[in-house]
Amino acid sequence: MAVPDDNASSVGQLEETGEAPRSLLGGLGALVIGALDAAKAQYSVFVKTLYFTVRGAPQKGAVVRQMYEIGNRSLVFLCVVQAFLGLIIVYQAGLQTLRVVPDLTLLGATFLELLVKDLAASICALMLATRVGAGIAAEIGSMVVTEQVDALRMCAADPVDYLIKPRFLASIIMTVVLVMVAGTVGYFAGMGSGYAFFGIAPKTFVNFSLVDFGDLTVGLTKCVAYGAAIPVVSGYCGLSTFGGSEGVGWATTRAVVNSSLTVIVLNFFISGAGFVIFGG
Amino acid sequence: MIRLEGISKSFERPVLKNVDLHVPEGCLYGLIGPGASGKSVLLKIITALIRPEAGKVLIGGRDVLTMPDLELHEFRKGIGMLFQNNALFDFMTVYENIAFPMRRLLDLSEDEIRERIAERLKIVSLPGFEERMPAGLSGGQKKRIGVARATVTQAPVVLYDEPAAGLDPVTSQRIFDLLRAEQQAAGATVLMVSSDLDRMLTVTDRVGMMYRGELIFDGTTEEAYASSDPYVHQFVHGIPEGPL
Repeated sequence: MAVPDDNASSVGQLEETGEAPRSLLGGLGALVIGALDAAKAQYSVFVKTLYFTVRGAPQKGAVVRQMYEIGNRSLVFLCVVQAFLGLIIVYQAGLQTLRVVPDLTLLGATFLELLVKDLAASICALMLATRVGAGIAAEIGSMVVTEQVDALRMCAADPVDYLIKPRFLASIIMTVVLVMVAGTVGYFAGMGSGYAFFGIAPKTFVNFSLVDFGDLTVGLTKCVAYGAAIPVVSGYCGLSTFGGSEGVGWATTRAVVNSSLTVIVLNFFISGAGFVIFGG
Repeated sequence: MIRLEGISKSFERPVLKNVDLHVPEGCLYGLIGPGASGKSVLLKIITALIRPEAGKVLIGGRDVLTMPDLELHEFRKGIGMLFQNNALFDFMTVYENIAFPMRRLLDLSEDEIRERIAERLKIVSLPGFEERMPAGLSGGQKKRIGVARATVTQAPVVLYDEPAAGLDPVTSQRIFDLLRAEQQAAGATVLMVSSDLDRMLTVTDRVGMMYRGELIFDGTTEEAYASSDPYVHQFVHGIPEGPL
């Protein structure tokens, strides 16, 4: 903006008021362009991961090692989280239901439907995004700043093939397993809560009548989608690390934020698709 | 063998400005210059790990920068590289680190790989280190393992970024002598960056000096010592007073 002279104060004010929205728009535009570029790069990493899953070099034991890292080491954490959430949700749901109808016989069935269709997968995925996503980004980010990723490239090993693919496969498998185990723990915790606070008999609580094929399909689809998304998003954040330890810190933060956001966005679209295909 | 034409690269400021460099086949070329003059960036540009804004990188007459990804992967099989920070894979043992490029790039049996690793470790004076993890090694030991990994495939083009950094004078001279012997045995084309001028210049055929992103000298090692250019003279002779 030109510096206004003394006799052009009104013009200067006009320019200033006119420029504020422009710079705001410019900032927003830059943000959108940056986000689109990042989305494009992540999509490219996803496509490369799929390519190397089919055509990549086999690595003895790499997927099993990652299954242990992602799966076994997250199991207790996820079970504890699901157990507490199961306790709280059944307690709160019971209280709210009692305000409307004095009948809690379908509480267990409703809770199970909610778990299968959405809650078990989404909560587990959000927890995995923090624990596993941060770990993947920090590990790969450290390799970038210590030139280990460049050394991989010099050995004709694509970092996506060597670093992201095993995590991608392991994460898909283990997310499904972890969601099943942690979801079961959450359900039993909810059953305990129902019995302790509302006197619902376990026999009444265990009710599969509301769970149908559509719920199972939507739940399983979410498990696979989240399991695939977390290592790809976090791996991309790791690979795009720059600078030193500060860069690794930023990459880790971005991995957690972006993975969590991706889980929520995927949840929206898969739930929507489930509603359209299978109905409410 | 290695020819750079008009290479320019900027990060926040210009790092390389229109650099032309030619390393003849079978030559051991030493690249010298003060810190932050663009030497390491130049090595990464040669391997297309960093893309320049302008210029060409020709190795054996082929332009590295225009190669598609898959072709580049194949092409890199013919280039060995030692990184400034060694870049040892910290989740692998020393054995696995040295075996990795052989498994990826060469078609060798496990027995041959084991034999070559034992030979390499003996050459860098670290026999019996196969099962050690990089985290348990000193800086000098890591550097020597890095040298062992960079030379194990006997690639026709080898790039060394500070091969003697952090080493004592005796080990440093041994490493330079080893690199020279390897280069002569394999007839390899070598481009080497080092701050240890006294020892590096005992093994180089030609020398180039970088200063503020430009190649200000290119000639034989003897010409470098005899140069009257004030920058080259000051740097090569390690004189504190001068234009640098």
